[in-house]
Amino acid sequence: MRHMASSSRSLCAIAIMWMSAVTHAENMQVDGNLLLTSLDAGGNDDFKSGNAIAINYNYDLKAWLAADVGLLITGKTLEESGKDVVGDYRANIRTQALLLGIKPRRRFQSPYEVFGRLGLQLWRTELEVEEYFGEGIPEGADSEKDTGYGYYLSIGGAHYVTDRVLVQLEFRHFKQLDVFQGKTAYPFDLAINALSLGVGYRF
Amino acid sequence: MRSCCFNTTPSFLAVLLSASILPGCEVDGGDNLPRVTDQGLFMYAEANRHLDEDDAEIAAAVYKDGVPVDLVGGDVFEASTTTERVLLKDRGLVTGSYAALLPVDDSVQEVFFNIVHAPIEAREDRWYPVDLVYIDPGPGELVGKSAVVSFPPAVSINGPGEDTVFTSIGDIIDLSWAAVAAGDTMRALAAVECTNGLAASSYGTVVEIGEDDGYEAIGMDKFIYDANAGSSTIKFVTDAALMLLQELLNDLSAGAIDPDFVLRSIDANPIESACEIRLFLQRQRNGVFDVTFDDGTVVGSRSAEVTVKYVPLVLAD
Repeated sequence: MRHMASSSRSLCAIAIMWMSAVTHAENMQVDGNLLLTSLDAGGNDDFKSGNAIAINYNYDLKAWLAADVGLLITGKTLEESGKDVVGDYRANIRTQALLLGIKPRRRFQSPYEVFGRLGLQLWRTELEVEEYFGEGIPEGADSEKDTGYGYYLSIGGAHYVTDRVLVQLEFRHFKQLDVFQGKTAYPFDLAINALSLGVGYRF
Repeated sequence: MRSCCFNTTPSFLAVLLSASILPGCEVDGGDNLPRVTDQGLFMYAEANRHLDEDDAEIAAAVYKDGVPVDLVGGDVFEASTTTERVLLKDRGLVTGSYAALLPVDDSVQEVFFNIVHAPIEAREDRWYPVDLVYIDPGPGELVGKSAVVSFPPAVSINGPGEDTVFTSIGDIIDLSWAAVAAGDTMRALAAVECTNGLAASSYGTVVEIGEDDGYEAIGMDKFIYDANAGSSTIKFVTDAALMLLQELLNDLSAGAIDPDFVLRSIDANPIESACEIRLFLQRQRNGVFDVTFDDGTVVGSRSAEVTVKYVPLVLAD
């Protein structure tokens, strides 16, 4: 609950910053992106591909450098079912992350731009596991949440459809470090690789 | 002496694979599963140390009214010595069994089997925090049941010599070993791999020897069989069908297909092939199982091996 309040405050701060910036709208960009994601928890996990949305706000610090603030929200990403001596099981993960970093960019004479992102993320991740043991034995699901820090980076290209509207394609990498550290003997790092397609608007 | 054949891969417990009936073999066509009773609770447990290896191969299962019982929800077999302990988390080669390797040395005399409830440890091979996110249905009715086996003396094979060649299934293998008059029983297991130059086949056989008296004459036909034995009519039809299939494939591929494609796709017939026979001699000692079981096959064993070859005269020439 405390975490949710913290996240809400952060979201409000971003919204206020965004509204403030739009009021004096210049040298900035807002974009929305759809992501096709691939999760890797570093062990013998076997996640199916998932999807996510990401919203980014950029404020130009220099012609070639912008501040990058964003929000990442993934859908529930399912793992392939597994079976072992205990029974059948399937895990799923969903995560949200606040992003804060920089975005180097280079716009060419032609209507194209290449850019990257590099920054830190504050993540909130939920792990859920469903288990089935067979006839006559109670089955069920259990879940846990954790928060922490990590980093993100990406590289992409944009095409300006008009002077203000652009479409962009981006390869993103998010790394959440030490998920469930301190709560378990088996913490893990969660990597999210994503192909991102977005639409941006420059003010 | 009783024997049977089954498909296999060459390692000791792999030789304990489930059986299949092989024609032309001097075998009973049964299987190598423990003699599970149709009614009641049956315990199967086996610990074998091959030569002086540092690990014993462990397998265990429970059958209820003849049907294997799945241990689930964190119930699992535990095998232990006075210093080492493992959970049997892998599926064993005997139907319904679980298996693991247990570190042993010459000081280890006994292996204890227990069914324990270890909900976290049993999940340790999963990638996520299994001590944080799990469903525990509690211990099942088999938890607490146990058995114990002890290792008999090591096996020392005196003959036949390594790589001895036999040329006919009528040949006799003079299997001799250093006898130990301790009331243990002996059996021979073989992992057989054959090739005819085009195709290969592999399988296993078991020969129950019985008394630990130091010698057993075993016919080569206990290990090598004729896949084409039986009705000559069926063999004729089968050969014709294979020939027609090859011709059809030749036509469909305009001659591009391997002219031996069909022959390469079927198992080599052992009696017409060169075969390597890894012969395992096992000394078995009966163990003790929990009185709550109605019956059981619980053994500790030691084994040694020798490799002999079967090269039919037509190939030897």
